[in-house]
Amino acid sequence: MKLQNFFKFLLFIFFITFSYTSFSKDNINDRYKKLTLELRCMTCQNQSVYDSDSDFAKNIKKIVKEKFKEGLNEKEIKDFLTKRYGEYILLKPYFSSKNLLLWVFPFVLLVLSMLIFIRNLKKN
Amino acid sequence: MKKVTLLLPLILLITVCLFFLLFILFEKDPNNPPSVLLNKNLPLFSSVNLYNDKEYLASEDLKDKYTLINFFASWCAPCKAEHNLFFEIKKEIPDLFIFGISYKDKPSDSKKYLKQEGNPYSFVGVDQEGKIAFEFGVFGLPETYIINNKGKIIFKHAGALTKKIIDDEITKLF
Repeated sequence: MKLQNFFKFLLFIFFITFSYTSFSKDNINDRYKKLTLELRCMTCQNQSVYDSDSDFAKNIKKIVKEKFKEGLNEKEIKDFLTKRYGEYILLKPYFSSKNLLLWVFPFVLLVLSMLIFIRNLKKN
Repeated sequence: MKKVTLLLPLILLITVCLFFLLFILFEKDPNNPPSVLLNKNLPLFSSVNLYNDKEYLASEDLKDKYTLINFFASWCAPCKAEHNLFFEIKKEIPDLFIFGISYKDKPSDSKKYLKQEGNPYSFVGVDQEGKIAFEFGVFGLPETYIINNKGKIIFKHAGALTKKIIDDEITKLF
């Protein structure tokens, strides 16, 4: 009976360890995919690092994997890369005062168009 | 006429926004994005000499002199196109320390390449894994940087140098 319990315990430990490692591996893989999809392959034409097989993309993929393994989060890895390659490496630039017009301009146009549209509707 | 007057603020706003957009995008060549390292300190690195594996050159060694750093490889065709220009730069600016870094290239291939094309470099470093290039934000070969005597990066060019770039941009820095 004791031996049976011991084996049950072993099986339980094995199950927990296996689930944890496969979950964390999947988690890293998902985060890796998400992040590399947001990074620009600087030697390609409008391709993300994830989609590219270029030497540059391979290098960045390797670095991203290493940094995740070191325990850095997405923001820290992005900062690490932008320190060297600038914001150009991000397919979606940061929201900053420098990029304010780029982010706000479509909304300004939308609001203006709506105002003109409402005004014309009222007139008619 | 009334319609035009009504739409005038909108036309004005769009013109102003377009002007700003053009200003933001002006001179932003997607093939040659601006380097974030410009006007910043030289990244820390240490590189072994291609011809002597006991000799190293570190970033600290470059802080008291003007240095041109060129990333090249024997397998890179544009590097070959600009190679002879470094002899001209050497002639025009004799005090400039020209530091060539062999990027992801076999040392034997780099040696063969420099034997064939001539060696314009004051020191040839090796960066087989691309770690030094990564610190500089290199994304394609060739790339050239100029560091001033205070250790700051004052010039960067991605792609092959031309005589025009040397005359218009590089010689003006000295």
